[in-house]
Formats: sequence, structure tokens, C-alpha cells
Amino acid sequence: MNFAIGLGLDTLSFSLSLLLVSLGLVIIFGLMNVINMAHGEFFLLGAYSVVAVQQLQLPYWAALIVAPIALALVGLVLEQLIIRHVYHRFIDTILATWGISIVLKQLIIIGFGPTSQSIVNPLPEPVHILGVVYPSFRLFIMGAALAVSIATFWVFYRSNLGLAIRGVIANRAMAASLGLNTRRMDRWTFAFGAALAGFAGAVMAPIMSVDPQMGGGFLIPAFLSIMVGGVSHLFGVVLGVGLIGSTSTVISSLDTQLAAQIAVFLLAIVIIRLWPEGLITRKR
Amino acid sequence: MLKVSEVVAGYQAGSRVLDGFSMHVRPGEIVALLGRNGMGKTTFLKALMGHVAVSGGSLSLDGEEIGGLKPYEVARRGVGYVPQGREIFPDFTVEENLLMGLLGRPELPSEVPDWAFEIFPILHERRKQRGGSMSGGQQQQLAIVRALVGRPKLLLLDEPSEGIQPNIVQEIGHVLSRIARDEGLTVLLVEQNMELVLGMAQRCLFMENGAIAYETDEVQKLRTDPAPIHRYLSV
Repeated sequence: MNFAIGLGLDTLSFSLSLLLVSLGLVIIFGLMNVINMAHGEFFLLGAYSVVAVQQLQLPYWAALIVAPIALALVGLVLEQLIIRHVYHRFIDTILATWGISIVLKQLIIIGFGPTSQSIVNPLPEPVHILGVVYPSFRLFIMGAALAVSIATFWVFYRSNLGLAIRGVIANRAMAASLGLNTRRMDRWTFAFGAALAGFAGAVMAPIMSVDPQMGGGFLIPAFLSIMVGGVSHLFGVVLGVGLIGSTSTVISSLDTQLAAQIAVFLLAIVIIRLWPEGLITRKR
Repeated sequence: MLKVSEVVAGYQAGSRVLDGFSMHVRPGEIVALLGRNGMGKTTFLKALMGHVAVSGGSLSLDGEEIGGLKPYEVARRGVGYVPQGREIFPDFTVEENLLMGLLGRPELPSEVPDWAFEIFPILHERRKQRGGSMSGGQQQQLAIVRALVGRPKLLLLDEPSEGIQPNIVQEIGHVLSRIARDEGLTVLLVEQNMELVLGMAQRCLFMENGAIAYETDEVQKLRTDPAPIHRYLSV
């Protein structure tokens, strides 16, 4: 029974973490159609902002504010210099953002060195929950992921700003003809996606090995989740991370990490083969 | 209201779809711009909206030069645009489509006013329905009201009757004439459908090869003497 509760909590924790990491991608890849190969590095920069905050002797929690602001600025600069030239050139976005990812990763190595950094766990005391002992920081991650996801979905699917952003993405020329400043909206949408990736990096840093290669670890399952769930509806991503997250956690606890990866890829291949647009699509 | 002089515009650098195009529209007037396909009518509207680069001449709205402005800047100066093919947002509901007509106007409240649903009653009935699920005529009505909620001074309509059942074309004609009369809205209508033009327009401009070839303000005379229609519209 305790094993089942532990496994359930692990599954929920991994799925929610994956959701948190996927959110920025949902916006940049799902809504803006930019295959952002640098998304892992945005996440990485977010994690390293925790290292920087720690070096400045500031409390960990400051990084949760510093990281999204820093990444929004990075996003604004990259959008202005590079990304805006490759919108609607779907394949070119891969090359451009891959280049960005290499540069960002090397900058981190120059700044912080190639080795792994240790981050102090800000909530070291475990808690008792449903009869099992569970790390309290993981519960914090789950709460943060849930809150940020709800806020993001609310902005994009319930607010006027979100409607305008989706309108610009759906039909740029028409949105402009209705008086919307499309350049400004592109810029800020991209920056918002980058800020979410940075926030995710800062939130996840204390439970991960913070090194220059960490960006890739969550990037692949995040892309898979979005493709499996579909991007045209908000529940698509939730379903996607649920499927990928639970498959991965359950199989790795019963068998090996390798078996879990094989299962996740098989699942993704089958689903994408049968539902190329993802499981949840809008009726046309 | 709108004064266009010697405008040169085209899609690629150096191409001159419009080559020294001049015309004007007076306040409160309904003007029809007619001509065969490929004569530059749509290009002119796009140049006016800032979607096609203007390489020469001047476009002025109420005395202010608008040539070279970005589309959103033109829109915010009071130009409503109903493009060819309607271009509604198919995944958005009727209400959300109308809201899109307001979100780009910071000076207007971001709430669809009740009168917007009264212009064409079908929009009220379908307000929660997806725009893409409606018929062509209903989508056209939606596109027109979406432009009107932004309270334009000048409304540009690009072939609003294209592919629409005649009774809806007639309804659109009546409604727009009434709004123009009651509220002083200025309308520039690009059309090939003479029924709508004869029912609405106060002046007709016939366009050929990127310039105005013939102009008349005796629109009803075109019913009895359709020679210009044959000359400039028949294929």
C-alpha cells in the first residue's frame, strides 16, 4: 500500500514537473510554431540563476523571481535578433535555435565551469503524507507547477490578452488589420515562454544535478508530451504529460530507467502514428 | 476624407500593380471601386491598409499621411477592413471574433457592445458558436460587424458578396446603407456584383490596369445604360 502511495506521489510529482517544463514549450512550439531546440538551455539558465543567487548569498526563493525576469530578457533579445526572422520557416527554426542552444551552453561553461554545481535544498525536512515520508521540496514543486500551469492556461485561454495572442498566431495579417501590434505581441509571447522555462529551471534545480548538460533531460519528454497530447487544446498537454509522466515513473520503478525510456518512446510513436495531431484536437 | 494621389505599389520591389493611382472619397460617401480581376483593386486596399508597400505617391486620411504606416497604425486611425475571403477566426466563437475587433483599440472598452449583436440578428443567435461553423454569408456578416465594433470612420469592403446567397447580400447592402446614412460612416466598396453596387453606392469608379478609367456619380443610370459595366467588367 505504501509502495502504491509512494509511486502515486512520484508519478504525480514527475508529471507535474514535466508539465511545468512543458508550459514554455507549449507557447513557443505549440502556439508560435517555433521548434525551440534552445528550450533546454533556457531551463538550464533558469537553474544556473539559482547558482548565481546562491553565490550572492541570497535565499533560494529570490531565484524564483530572478530566473523568469532574466529569461524574459534573454527571450526578448533572442526574438529580436534571431527568432523573428525565422517565423513561418518551420525547419529553419531548428537550425537557428540549435545554434542558440550551443552558444548558451558554452556561455554557461565559460561562466560556471563544466562541472556539476551543488544546490542547497531550501526545504530539507521531509513531511509525512498519507502514511509515507515524502521530501517536502517535491511537494513544493508540485504546488508551484500546478499554480503556474493554471495561471498560464487562464491567461492564454480565458483572458482577452490570451485571445489577442491566439488571434495573432492564427492570422497575423488580419489581427494587424484589426489594430493589434503583432510585432509586440510576438516579442512578448516568446519572452513569456522563455520566462516559464527559466522559472521551471529554478524550481527544479534543487532536486537535479545542475550541470551544463541538464537541459536535455526534460526537453525530450516535454516535446513528446506536447506531440502526444496535441497543442490545440489546453487539456492536450495535461493529458500528454500525464501519459508520458506516468508511463515513465511506473516502469522505471518496476523495471529499469532504460525500459522506461523504451516504453515512453514506443507509446509516443504509436500515438503519433495513430493521431498525428495529438490525442486532443479541435473538431474541424 | 481619403485622398489618394499618384500611388505606386506592387508586391515585389519594382512591380507596379498600381501605377499612378489617384482617387478620393468624401466623408459619409459610399463609393464603389469596380473592375475585372487583376486590375489592382485588392492591391489598392492592401496598400491602403499597409499590407503592401507603397513606393510612390501619397495616401492621406483626414489630411494625415498614412502611406508607409503599419497595418495596426492604419486601423487605429479609424480604418475598418473586411478583406476578401472574410478572414474570420474559425476557431473563435462569434463573440470572440467580435472581441478581436476591439482588442486592438486601446481607447475602446474591451467588451462587445450590445448593438453589435443587433446589426445582424443571426450573430446574437450564434454568439457562442465557432465562427468556422457558420455559412459563408454569416461569416461575412461577422467580418463586417467585427470591423464596425472598432468604430471606423472609413470602412473598406473587399468583394463582400463573393460566394454568398443573394438574400444575405441584399441584407448586407441595406444594413450598411442605413449605418452610413445614420452615422456618417464612409464606405469604400470593391465589388464585381452589380446588384450590391447599384443598391448601395453613390459613386462608381471603374478601374483598369492600375488606374481609374471611368467615373460616374449617376449610379442608377448604369441600370439603363450599362455600357461602362460591359466595357470595364465583362470578360
